Amino acid sequence: MIDIQNVSKWYGHFQVLKDCTSRVDKGEVVVICGPSGSGKSTLIKCVNGLEPFQEGVITVNGVSVGAAETDLPKLRSHIGMVFQNFELFPHKRAIENITLAQTKVLGRTPDEAVARGQKLLDRVGLGDLGHKYPSELSGGQQQRVAIARALAMDPIAMLFDEPTSALDPEMINEVLDVMQELARDGMTMMVVTHEMGFARRVADRVIFMDEGEIVEDATKDDFFGTPRSERAQLFLSKILHH
Amino acid sequence: MTGFDFGAIVNSFPYLAKGMQLSLLLTGLSALGSIVLGTILALMRLSGVRLFQWVGATWVNFFRSLPLLLVIFWFYFLVPVIAQRQVDAFQSALIGFVLFEAAYYCEIMRSGILSISRGQAWAGYALGLRYSQAMRFIVLPQAFRNMLPVLLTQTIILFQDTSLVFVVGLADFMTSAVTVAQRDGRLFELYVFCALVYFVMCYGASLYVKNLQKKIHR
Repeated sequence: MIDIQNVSKWYGHFQVLKDCTSRVDKGEVVVICGPSGSGKSTLIKCVNGLEPFQEGVITVNGVSVGAAETDLPKLRSHIGMVFQNFELFPHKRAIENITLAQTKVLGRTPDEAVARGQKLLDRVGLGDLGHKYPSELSGGQQQRVAIARALAMDPIAMLFDEPTSALDPEMINEVLDVMQELARDGMTMMVVTHEMGFARRVADRVIFMDEGEIVEDATKDDFFGTPRSERAQLFLSKILHH
Repeated sequence: MTGFDFGAIVNSFPYLAKGMQLSLLLTGLSALGSIVLGTILALMRLSGVRLFQWVGATWVNFFRSLPLLLVIFWFYFLVPVIAQRQVDAFQSALIGFVLFEAAYYCEIMRSGILSISRGQAWAGYALGLRYSQAMRFIVLPQAFRNMLPVLLTQTIILFQDTSLVFVVGLADFMTSAVTVAQRDGRLFELYVFCALVYFVMCYGASLYVKNLQKKIHR
């Protein structure tokens, strides 16, 4: 489904991604963790081409993200993405956030789009808040709207870039619950997160990144059982025991 | 001359009102045209294409380095030559104002666009929107809203500047007042009245903008 091969990326002379190779199979949930600045957010943004990369190949469903002839907007419309800061459109109501791309990109009629949007709002537990503006919603609610917005495009995979990092602690679980349910329904997911509890419950595989490298790429049990690298062990001890 | 003769103003009121109509029409059309053009220039300056960046930057630097009066003159004489036919003063003034003011509106819209976080455009792209769609539906509406007070303030300045069409004999409010003043020998009354009208309108509008600013940044 998502195939990442020998991807490298530079900001000027600074190399942010170093020869990263991994893949996400259909229906698989892969969690990417690592210290801040390790390149995990950059890597996930490369998957849908929001960040360009200089070397390597990423294909999604067989389509090469970096190729010049690829219709990137079309490819992106099949890949949902959820951002750390929600990035809801503040000038639009929750339901309009969800219908915009449905009508403009998928060509659905406004009625279809609203019906689909309402269904998804119900699904994330916000059925009666569609008329609210983002500023009238809590962080957790905003992020759930953002998830509904991405799902409205009927994506074949979902990318989550630190979806709970900007949330107050009491709101983290309402978002993780929605994500867990998605995973249970068989969604292909790539999740950058520090929530190791979520990784333990939901992930099939865990990728550990440090300084732009994929240091560890292991099944969940192997990763939490016996992480091989010292760096991963150090990271886990820091993140789990405080 | 005996005291302040209100009659001089009252009698010429219909004529002055017509002048004001022209001033407002010129301001409105100029603002509309130059905001559209300015926004396009801003997008060019912010684009990744060198040529576009150069065109946008050159436009802004060029027009901001010229006195508006000169630009009005210029187009008054130039446009008929280019068009190969008579062009009335209103049209040539309008073109001059649009091209000139676009340089200023461009910089306002540019900072407006830059004030919108990159993540907003990203969110649009991630949903499959194209550049033009992301700009039209997501970035520009927000930029416009954030910049509305500044855009209006610039438009108030534009309104004052339309009085410069005096030099091409266009009968705006100012020119009409001057005409009446000289015809009736009532310079004092007409100039005081003229100043009052400009002051009340511009100051009133600026108070409105101040209010609006508070509302937007609440």
